[in-house]
Amino acid sequence: MICADCGVEMTRHAKKVIYPRSEHEASLVDEALGGVLLERHTCPGCGKGASQVQEPK
Amino acid sequence: MMMKPINIPVILGTTRRGRLSAHVARFVTNELSKRPGVLTELIDIAEMPLPIDGAGDEIKDPVFSQKMENADGIVIVAPEYNHSFPGLLKHLLDTCLEEYIHKASGIVGVASGPFGGTRVVQSLLPALREMGLMNIFTDLNFSSVGKVFDEEGKLKDEEAWARRTANFLDELIWMSTVLRHGRENVPQE
Repeated sequence: MICADCGVEMTRHAKKVIYPRSEHEASLVDEALGGVLLERHTCPGCGKGASQVQEPK
Repeated sequence: MMMKPINIPVILGTTRRGRLSAHVARFVTNELSKRPGVLTELIDIAEMPLPIDGAGDEIKDPVFSQKMENADGIVIVAPEYNHSFPGLLKHLLDTCLEEYIHKASGIVGVASGPFGGTRVVQSLLPALREMGLMNIFTDLNFSSVGKVFDEEGKLKDEEAWARRTANFLDELIWMSTVLRHGRENVPQE
């Protein structure tokens, strides 16, 4: 993920299983994990955080 | 290179009228504000919009969310209600999730009785863990809070409380600093 403010590659430091929060996320549920994987990224340049739900591989 | 300040807001976790926790929260915020390289502010949950016709992400307040997004750590000042945390505190904390991930937290327990809010600390810990917060091992416990402050809300024994609070803040600032480094620089596979 690229930082919207700095344009640098962000650091993906967390993957957390969460309950889906939308119909789209519900379609991405990994039954083995019991939810969707929320990836958390932080910019090493400015510290901005961003998240995305992991799409199936 | 100058390091950007560590941001640690203090959440006053009760809306009850006559709350003595407000004195505690102001004191902790003031002690934090004396630390070089630390930014802080007092977030009073009584001043946050807390709708009850929804819960969690669906009632997220953009102002509170941004404050948590900008935070490197948080202090939660929580009185003990019926051996647990105030419901409205949990209601507000539940509105965010990703904003908390891999950030530090420290709990200040407040009680009118002799146990210093140890049970509010214990009851908050599993919730904070699930939210992605890393709680420090040092707590602050204000026992018999009705006897701790004078009528003007000033601590009767400020020196002792300043020393206890310094120990708590040393750990919280360290953890906030280390976790920020980790978030920014240590990728997970």
